[in-house]
Amino acid sequence: MNFDIRRYVILSFIILVGFLYTFRLFYMQVIDDTWTLRAHEVAEKRVEITPPRGVVFDRNGMKIVSNRTYFNLMMVEDEIKHLDTAAFAKLIGWTVEDVRNRFKEIVKGEGTYYNKITKKRTSNYQKIRKYPFLKELTLEEISRIAPHLENFPGFQEKVTSMRNYPFKSGANIMGYLSEVNREEVEADRFYRPGDNIGRSGIEKFYETELRGRKGIKYIVTSALNNAIEPFADGKYDTTARQADPLKLGMDMIIQSYGEKLMQNKKGCIVAIEPSTGEILAMVSAPSYDPNLLVGKQNISKNYPKLALDKNMPLFPRPLQAEYPPGSIFKLVQSLIGMQEGVITENSGFPCDKSMVGCHNHPSARNVAEAVQYSCNPYYYAVVRRIIQQGKKKGIFADAEYGLNKWHRYMNSFGLGKTLDADVSGQRPGLIPDAKYYDKWYGHHQWAFSTIRSISIGQGEVKLTPLHMANIAAIIANKGWYYVPHFVKSIGRKGPLALYRTKKYTMVHSRHFAPVIEGMRRVVNENGGTARMARLEHIMICGKTGTVQNPHGEDHSVFIAFAPMYKPKIAIAVFVENAGFGGTWAAPIASLMIEKYLKRKISDKEKEKRILEAKLAYISNQGE
Amino acid sequence: MRKEESLVAHLDWPLFISFMVMLITGLATLYSVAYSELHPAIYDVSMMYGKQLIWVLVSLFLGLMVFLIDSDIYRRFAFPIYGFTLLLLIIVLFMPAVHGARAWIGIGTMGIQPAEFAKISTALLLAKYISGISVKQQSISSVMTASAILLVPMALILLQPDAGTFVVFTSFLFVMYREGLTFDPIILSFVNSIPGVRFKETWVGSHFIPILFVMIFISVITLLLNSVKLDFFFLPFTVSGSIGVIFTLLIFSVLSILFLQRFSAKRERSRGTVIIVLGFILTSGLSFVVDNGFNSLATHQKDRIELFLGLREDPNGKDYNRNRAMAAVGSGGLIGKGYMKASVSSVESNHVPESETDFIFCPFAEEWGFLGILFFFGVYLFMLIRIILIAERQRSIFNRVYAYCVGMILFYHFAINIGMNIGFAPVIGIPLPFFSYGGSSMMSFCMMMFILLKLDSQRKDVLR
Repeated sequence: MNFDIRRYVILSFIILVGFLYTFRLFYMQVIDDTWTLRAHEVAEKRVEITPPRGVVFDRNGMKIVSNRTYFNLMMVEDEIKHLDTAAFAKLIGWTVEDVRNRFKEIVKGEGTYYNKITKKRTSNYQKIRKYPFLKELTLEEISRIAPHLENFPGFQEKVTSMRNYPFKSGANIMGYLSEVNREEVEADRFYRPGDNIGRSGIEKFYETELRGRKGIKYIVTSALNNAIEPFADGKYDTTARQADPLKLGMDMIIQSYGEKLMQNKKGCIVAIEPSTGEILAMVSAPSYDPNLLVGKQNISKNYPKLALDKNMPLFPRPLQAEYPPGSIFKLVQSLIGMQEGVITENSGFPCDKSMVGCHNHPSARNVAEAVQYSCNPYYYAVVRRIIQQGKKKGIFADAEYGLNKWHRYMNSFGLGKTLDADVSGQRPGLIPDAKYYDKWYGHHQWAFSTIRSISIGQGEVKLTPLHMANIAAIIANKGWYYVPHFVKSIGRKGPLALYRTKKYTMVHSRHFAPVIEGMRRVVNENGGTARMARLEHIMICGKTGTVQNPHGEDHSVFIAFAPMYKPKIAIAVFVENAGFGGTWAAPIASLMIEKYLKRKISDKEKEKRILEAKLAYISNQGE
Repeated sequence: MRKEESLVAHLDWPLFISFMVMLITGLATLYSVAYSELHPAIYDVSMMYGKQLIWVLVSLFLGLMVFLIDSDIYRRFAFPIYGFTLLLLIIVLFMPAVHGARAWIGIGTMGIQPAEFAKISTALLLAKYISGISVKQQSISSVMTASAILLVPMALILLQPDAGTFVVFTSFLFVMYREGLTFDPIILSFVNSIPGVRFKETWVGSHFIPILFVMIFISVITLLLNSVKLDFFFLPFTVSGSIGVIFTLLIFSVLSILFLQRFSAKRERSRGTVIIVLGFILTSGLSFVVDNGFNSLATHQKDRIELFLGLREDPNGKDYNRNRAMAAVGSGGLIGKGYMKASVSSVESNHVPESETDFIFCPFAEEWGFLGILFFFGVYLFMLIRIILIAERQRSIFNRVYAYCVGMILFYHFAINIGMNIGFAPVIGIPLPFFSYGGSSMMSFCMMMFILLKLDSQRKDVLR
């Protein structure tokens, strides 16, 4: 039998395997990049360098948010050899027990994952990785520890940076940073566990602008995670870049001054530059030193205290407190009335106290006098005409039509909606529309008489202090505004596009003169309600309000702008449980205006009275 | 002087040169993998490359010895040599275990692995036995005797245990197949015991071994690719592993039919086409059945098979060689990362454990890329084909059988070792000839080659 043919079977086996392997290798090496990616994953390590966060300046160029260097004590378990726990504990000033617990805590803190292959829960903790053993040590603390670290292999120092607030002001506005949580790490690849993220205020709103660009170094590593060499001689490395500084429209001088004036009181001050919409000051009282919430240790120590404080220092009142506006609302009612043509600037109404109470004053013969006297029956009559215009059949349908129109006017003043300022956590307040009352009373079940308290800024109407200040800015501008905002410029770029577009109200500018005249009289004429706000050299136009408070003492409110010609500042002051608007809110506003425009206070007595006042402030035990 | 002259004159230069190219490339690869800046000299014996250099020099010296000794002694002393290696294989079982296997005689790196040398002695005895069978080869007793020559060392090797070398010994079955020693007589005796049936031969019985190996090869690849999704660049969707296998088989079948139409005689075309089509249907059917059969297995049975195939370890665990090896190979790209630039598979980075021994193909593929692989495969295939050609030109059956043994052993090492690196074979530790670090395998492969070269150079003496 001849078996020679079989040599070809064997030869074809060899050739077939050769070709098959060639194709496979061509696929693996040239076409498919799965394995290349896997190789990167296996052999390269990204070392990230986090730059310090962008700094923040105020309008005068003062650095109001900066960074301070801190140190972390890092540890790598695999490199720890013969740890003398007692000596180490002594070095860092802990007990031996604390040190042991800290090790356990680190492992536990990393959590676990479900390993699909071994079908077991496995810890994320890796012995070859670096973990912070102690965080946020100051220079003094680390310089005491560092010289001895050579005795403790596996431990090393690492420089890090944290926020620093030299002025201790504007805590609620700036917001604070804290460590990212798991969801945030998963949602944005920028973050790694242990990174900080803006939690509230400007820090949160401008997170992406402030965090900068991380530097990435690619290093070829061994299986034991030792660096071997820079990957591709550093060709793909990027350098870390600190974010461009933010420049705020805020004037730190009046911001701090405002916080001082508001000490031992509850309430807020919001000041806006009318021509730009830049927020000059936003005081929330009581407040806290922003440095209290810098770093993990401080947060865990101070946050619970602040959160439990009965005065609610963490509550950003200017953005989130929704108050009935009281009499300051009458300014807007006058404007809407004139624009709608239901009154003219010379319309007069008798001060008829039969429907609504009022104080003793002559009847208002025109809009200016109505503002000056803050006449309740006058506005009752005006708003009735706005709501019940007689354009629809039947009183209910007519009220529905009128109220919705009124609601649109209010919206055009930025009321009843969030203002889109560049700070997180704003509330919309409340301007009721027909749907709102339908829900309460039923469709066509209500008319002006049902809802009349809105005419004097009571009842359902609610505004935040930011809204109130914006009203003052709109009147100062005679009918338009820029959305109030903090950031004047980001690096070399101006503010965001939103803050460069003028917004017009539905009221024509010609209707503003009588209202402004009324506001001038409120402050500058005898018989006005805010004589305490009068300044010798600055013409302030303002309007007081006293907000009825069923839970206690009335709230004192005052909005104003100054000077009367070419206004430079519009302001709203709201003091909780302080009573009559002219007594507390008005003088505070005048002090703020004087401080901003003149930088010095002429009437020291006025200032002293405010500083010493203690209103509805609950003192905390032990302070 | 005359003798010296004839030595060089009858040397098969193509084989010798390709052999030397492999030896040098292998040494250069090891130098690159294990390179340390502290010990840059290749002859630094504290490093792996220094030791390997010594092994190469020792092997070359042994090769010289082989050339000086008359080749007749291999035939004459085949049985004593076989007996001696069996003795060593028994002694090794009483040695202390290294990494769970009793494979070493001696201490540490200076020990030897008898299993490596058992390949040569078995090849020699098999050659002697087959050349001694006179007329009727296809008898049950001759098949059984030849099988016994393989089975004894295989059993001893399995006791070590050394699965890799055990599998390599099955390469001798191909040699038996070539020599007509198939299992057909056994099958015939069963078939013909049925009354009225009188077969002279069965096709399956005659080609039992290649058929079996094709089946195993396809089954193993199907299983290895079972959980993989293949992403062909010209297809918009991914296909599962077994579909990929069937698809590849289809491409090969179509190509071979085209080849057949173009180059073969008219008479054989239709027959060949039928065989290829049938082969395609059977092999792809097998792949399909294996794939689905595996999927329908209970979890614990699956686990056991995956454990055998080395698929069960954690991809991030330090032991997961295959995944890391494939990452290293795949990251080589078209032109590679450059000599000494293997970032994944160098010994220093240690991402691919055993990258100096069983996985030394990784650093080569990583450093030289696909173009380097083409060169490597070219030389290797040339070498294997050259060995088959040499085998076929021998006038003595002993020489031919021995040459086939060498060819098949090298082919097995080539196919399985590289298969391990590219995910086509389970991870059973066998070295890549002339590349892997290790004295025993280096000496055994070199001796094997030198004996072949010597036998070939004296092929005309047989008639003289």
